[in-house]
Amino acid sequence: MDSITRRRAAAYVCRSCIRRTYTQRHQRTYSSAVQPDIYDVVCVGGGPAGLSLLTALRASPVTSHLRIALVEAQDLSKIQSWKLPPDRFSNRCSSLTPSSALFLDKIGAWDHLARDRIQPYHEMQVWDGVSDARIEFNWAPDAAPSAGTTIAYMTENLNLTSGLLRRLAQLGGVSVFGNAKVENISFGEQTEAQDLREWPVVNLAGGKQLVARLLVGADGANSPVRSFAGIEARGWDYGRHGVVATLELQGQGWGGDQMKTAYQRFLPTGPVAMLPLPGNYSTLVWSTTPENASLLKRLPTKDFVALVNAAFQLSPADLEFMHTQSEGQAEEYSWRSEHTPFHSEIIPQAVTGVQEGTIASFPLKMRHADTYIGERVALVGDAAHTIHPLAGQGLNQGQGDVQSLANTIEYAVNHGQDIGGRLSLEPYLAERYTANHVLMGVCDKLHKLYSVGSGPIVSLRSLGLNAVNSLGPLKTFVMSQAAGHGTKVF
Amino acid sequence: MRSSLRHTPALLRHARAARPSCRVPLAAAVQSPTLGAPALALALAPASTRASSSSSVNPSEISHFNALAATWWDPHGSSRILHLMNPLRHDFIGTCRASSPTVTSSTPAGQLRYLDVGCGGGIFAESAARLPSTASVTAIDPSPGVLAVARSHAARDPGLTAEKLEYISATIETLPPGGGNKDFDVVTLFEVVEHVDNPAAFLDRCGEFVKPGGWLVMSTIARTWTSWFTTNLMAEDILGVVPKGTHDWRKYINEDELRAHFRGKSGWSSPRVMGVVYFPGLGWKEVRGSEKIGNYFFAVQKNA
Ligand SMILES: Cc1cc2nc3c(=O)[nH]c(=O)nc-3n(C[C@H](O)[C@H](O)[C@H](O)COP(=O)(O)OP(=O)(O)OC[C@H]3O[C@@H](n4cnc5c(N)ncnc54)[C@H](O)[C@@H]3O)c2cc1C
Ligand SMILES: C[S@@+](CC[C@H](N)C(=O)[O-])C[C@H]1O[C@@H](n2cnc3c(N)ncnc32)[C@H](O)[C@@H]1O
Repeated sequence: MDSITRRRAAAYVCRSCIRRTYTQRHQRTYSSAVQPDIYDVVCVGGGPAGLSLLTALRASPVTSHLRIALVEAQDLSKIQSWKLPPDRFSNRCSSLTPSSALFLDKIGAWDHLARDRIQPYHEMQVWDGVSDARIEFNWAPDAAPSAGTTIAYMTENLNLTSGLLRRLAQLGGVSVFGNAKVENISFGEQTEAQDLREWPVVNLAGGKQLVARLLVGADGANSPVRSFAGIEARGWDYGRHGVVATLELQGQGWGGDQMKTAYQRFLPTGPVAMLPLPGNYSTLVWSTTPENASLLKRLPTKDFVALVNAAFQLSPADLEFMHTQSEGQAEEYSWRSEHTPFHSEIIPQAVTGVQEGTIASFPLKMRHADTYIGERVALVGDAAHTIHPLAGQGLNQGQGDVQSLANTIEYAVNHGQDIGGRLSLEPYLAERYTANHVLMGVCDKLHKLYSVGSGPIVSLRSLGLNAVNSLGPLKTFVMSQAAGHGTKVF
Repeated sequence: MRSSLRHTPALLRHARAARPSCRVPLAAAVQSPTLGAPALALALAPASTRASSSSSVNPSEISHFNALAATWWDPHGSSRILHLMNPLRHDFIGTCRASSPTVTSSTPAGQLRYLDVGCGGGIFAESAARLPSTASVTAIDPSPGVLAVARSHAARDPGLTAEKLEYISATIETLPPGGGNKDFDVVTLFEVVEHVDNPAAFLDRCGEFVKPGGWLVMSTIARTWTSWFTTNLMAEDILGVVPKGTHDWRKYINEDELRAHFRGKSGWSSPRVMGVVYFPGLGWKEVRGSEKIGNYFFAVQKNA
């Protein structure tokens, strides 16, 4: 076993074949029969999932000799050099769980992120907007997992992807095709020497062709790789939009900068969440109806701020009324809040401003691919599954996929398997599919449960939240799920 | 191919998919077993003429494997269980080589030369050729249909160059002996000994191709009451989940018989064994002691 696992892998595509390919092309510049450019892994999509996968493959001595290509429609050099002043934050942020952070550290990427822009948080306040039943997620002294008391790390997506790109540049060895859109994907040809009829060929705008032993679809929710592989993604639209914004608060939070809290309130229209960023800043994720979302985007800043404050504080009836106003929410809020009793420390500190240009919205949907693998194809991240953001798990699920796929490829290389073969990819599917399915089901049911405004379900669910709050072990379970420690149970 | 059939019908059903390639003449299989029958002792009796050109090939075996060729590389076909077992072969070879202070190699970079006898569609041969620690793999099989499948499958992988992987239509008796540097660091016979006539002579002939310090590595299935009960009586006669005549239980060879065979020869040492069991849904797992009842790996090292 040892001597096998210790073996270093050389690229499956032997160097001499590649050399031959190149020299032949030079010699036969005018020939139409250009030799195919063959890669062990072609990854379409340089988002968080694709970049982590390639970094993992390059960082492992077992897989570092694979011949790898990355295809991304965006300008990657812009993302790599992404920089914002310390008091400005991007509106697309994700909660990285400790297990995602550990993985990023293992592949050497964590140190390349701007750490002063990452905000760990240690508590969660979750409550029902209709009944006010509440659950406080903070670690009981003896229940904290050994990884520390951090529930998650709020990270700008661009901080993550630019850090990954820097780490990848440091590792080197990936043929990067940036600003390159995949036009279509076809199959290879049979020649006298080789039979590539089952090998995917990625055709880029401009005519470049990349032949893949393993084609990875990390190309997001509308994955062209998934369509090529004929894999259906099923699900539904929630009829909700996610509104995001970077908020300025009156202070660093009730616990100062050492003890930060994430807040989420379930409203009949969907959950509204405020997640801490460094200093006085927080990021907003509000799922609501498309009409409400477009109102929020239209409002003058002071009215937007008032409506966000109201969302964490006023009754659903008050909120509903304020959504019918085309402006003037600021006055309405100051009047109504005086008459609404609340305990200030269990809701976020007051929002005082919004960073310019950070209010945006996107439609929420739930999609799950029928499978994550096909012959010479694997899907990771949003290409495989799109989830309701209320659990903050979308990006973390992708990191889980990537970790599993990288391990699967490593095992295959160590045992001489064809890394594109369906048989070699089966362990990845087995490890990830059910885990993702269960998590998606839970988030979906939470959404439905909390989208009801009155009636027996409300009292039942408050009973549920209050009961969870008083049940230590169950709470620990829920929290460790959020923090990514409990994957074994799923 | 031959996995240990366990007692539950569910397992028998799973095992069935793995089995059809192991067919032997009906007449032989329907006879009831006599445990410890002299047939096996005879089968493993020292070969009178080493390196004889008399063939180990049983013609009905060959036609059977020819018929199977088409589905060899279907991941859900009849060879699925063999595909799943393949990584363990590498693990076992790795443990054998790690266990001995004498380590051979065939290139300055420490790479190995493999001879895979009875390679079939090339499941092991291809995987060995892909390892960066491999100098080359020579793979032989007497079934022409099977070998054609092996060749055309290898052509689908541009990484499997002619220098790395060579298929030869041959039996071990017709393969010209290498000698010296041309000998092999590892000679493998996976799921083959139970299909050959004169296994003792066959093993001796294969052994001639091993370098001093190199390993002769094989896998097969034990001949026990359990394997007779599960593969012959239950699977074929009572449950009927495996076509009658699929198994010639009398051709199964036990690990202690293999040990005794090589103990009786000079020039071999360090016998190693690993029993494995197929668990549906989990795959093949090493189970200590299971070599006495079902599938197992066996290896011996040629004295340096
Ligand atoms: C608008 C929006 C806001 C979001 N906000 C949040 C949030 O606040 N919190 C949160 O947790 N999650 C959020 N999500 C979800 C989160 O961003 C995703 O879960 C995560 O980005 C998935 O990463 P990925 O790498 O799988 O896919 P993506 O990040 O979608 O990356 C896919 C990449 O593939 C590239 N690509 C696609 N097609 C092609 C092609 N044909 N050729 C070349 N390249 C191609 C794209 O350019 C893109 O870079 C949001 C998603 C969206 C769409
Ligand atoms: C059960 S298959 C195993 C194939 C391959 N070793 C594997 O495990 O993937 C047995 C193979 O042994 C071959 N065979 C049968 N008789 C043989 C003999 N006498 N010498 C060499 N090979 C033989 C068959 O043609 C068949 O391909």
